Amino acid sequence: MTARPVVKRLVKRKGLFAGFKGNVDAITLGLKYLVDPKRFTLIYPNEYIKLDPGYRGFIVLHKEKCINCSSCARICPAAAMRMIKRQEQDPKTGKVKMKLWPVINYQRCIFCGYCVDVCPTEALYTVPYHDIVYENMAEMDWGLETFTRPPEHPVEKEGGIPVKYIVDEERGLVKVKAEGEEGD
Amino acid sequence: MDVVKLILDIIFYPPIYQLLLIGLVGSLVVVIFILWFERKATARVQRRLGPYHVAPRVAGFPQLVADLVRYAFQEVIIPRTVDAGIFILAPIVATILSILPIAVVPLTSNPGYWPVPMDYSVLVALAISTVSPIFLILAGWASNNKFSIIGGVREAFVITAYELIAILSILAASATVLSFNFVDVVEAQSRIWFIILNPLAFLAAFLAVLMATSGFPFEIPESENEVVAGPFTEYSGLLYGLNMGAAYMKRFALSILMALAFLGGWAPYTPGEGILSGYLIPSIIVIAKATVLMMAFSFTRSVYGRFRLDQALDGAWRLVFPMAILGFGLALLEAYLGVV
Repeated sequence: MTARPVVKRLVKRKGLFAGFKGNVDAITLGLKYLVDPKRFTLIYPNEYIKLDPGYRGFIVLHKEKCINCSSCARICPAAAMRMIKRQEQDPKTGKVKMKLWPVINYQRCIFCGYCVDVCPTEALYTVPYHDIVYENMAEMDWGLETFTRPPEHPVEKEGGIPVKYIVDEERGLVKVKAEGEEGD
Repeated sequence: MDVVKLILDIIFYPPIYQLLLIGLVGSLVVVIFILWFERKATARVQRRLGPYHVAPRVAGFPQLVADLVRYAFQEVIIPRTVDAGIFILAPIVATILSILPIAVVPLTSNPGYWPVPMDYSVLVALAISTVSPIFLILAGWASNNKFSIIGGVREAFVITAYELIAILSILAASATVLSFNFVDVVEAQSRIWFIILNPLAFLAAFLAVLMATSGFPFEIPESENEVVAGPFTEYSGLLYGLNMGAAYMKRFALSILMALAFLGGWAPYTPGEGILSGYLIPSIIVIAKATVLMMAFSFTRSVYGRFRLDQALDGAWRLVFPMAILGFGLALLEAYLGVV
């Protein structure tokens, strides 16, 4: 179907002072915001957003729950998770066995969280932060010992204030201090 | 004590005081404050934070000082294709000429502290204020770059629009008192300011100063997303800083003219004898009024977008120019009726 030409009418020029009200309105609104600014900038290193527990941040392993099934390494779309062999002493029988354990390479990880979802024993879990910086690439390739501890959150450790954004009907986005969630 | 008196006499020798202390140092301090205010006000209106990290306790106030230090230590690159002499001289001369009107206006009614004879000071100040744009065009031409030439031509277009308006609307104040003497203009406002008597001329002068100094709705010669930086495209380092500062210094000088012509100059205060009462306090009052005007100029940046060149010229000739004429007529009517 060909496009049909449409005759557009130019907006007729109104009177000489028709734009006056628009200017006055704009300046009034600007003055209102100047007096009462509704700003919500996150001053990042001094504040950080406290994310909810389900957030797909860094992935950590509960070594006690892991049944060495390799599902996480198989489902990983970026091939960040891989299994390594490690000799382990069985606590019941006392035998030394070769076992496969998952380790993760954060150079490759895309934080999709499939490994956490697929884990049959919930041995993998995510921490609700991902703003961690490494000095070199080798540090991002985690070994088994690093993988079993949750990484420390630098912003929180250096005294950043946790905040949350809520939607207020009058003021739009509002930044409030997140509190009362220290325990979990 | 003689030494102190000598130093005070040198400092408060009117040409030195007005040109160096107010013109250079004072305008630099005012520009630092105004640029901070401009960024902060724009940030507040746009729900941002503005300058912060330079000094969080004073809300990023010394941000411009940091910027100036950066500009001062940047390399000044002079491209091979430019006309080097004019390229270097144009921003310097433009900066000097933009603060020169301060040297011919009275900042007190005490005749001992006038820098020049005041009989035709309105005309002289307005005449000097119209010289500096030529050097902006010259800077654009000497840069030998298409963006800078387009910027210079835009500047020329804008000059034709605002110059007549600025002169007519500030002369309206002098038409009301039937005198070209700035002191007469200011002293006639001891009861009621001309901004109330003649709001049309004030509004026209406000818009004309905004156009003259590339204030935001009329930031046409340097519009960043059309011509890179207009006439200043090829500049770098301190020369670029001078170019940017020249617009603000010109705005400061024109604000002082407007403060004298419409906001009553040193009006609530009556200058007396001596340096303190006769010169320092009245001049500080004038500068404070000019600073308030500059804050109003800066605030427009947060509200308005940029006009196209044709829109600005259309508005200037069809709307603001008749407004200036009407303001002048109103001034003549007031002079006829003897309002002041």
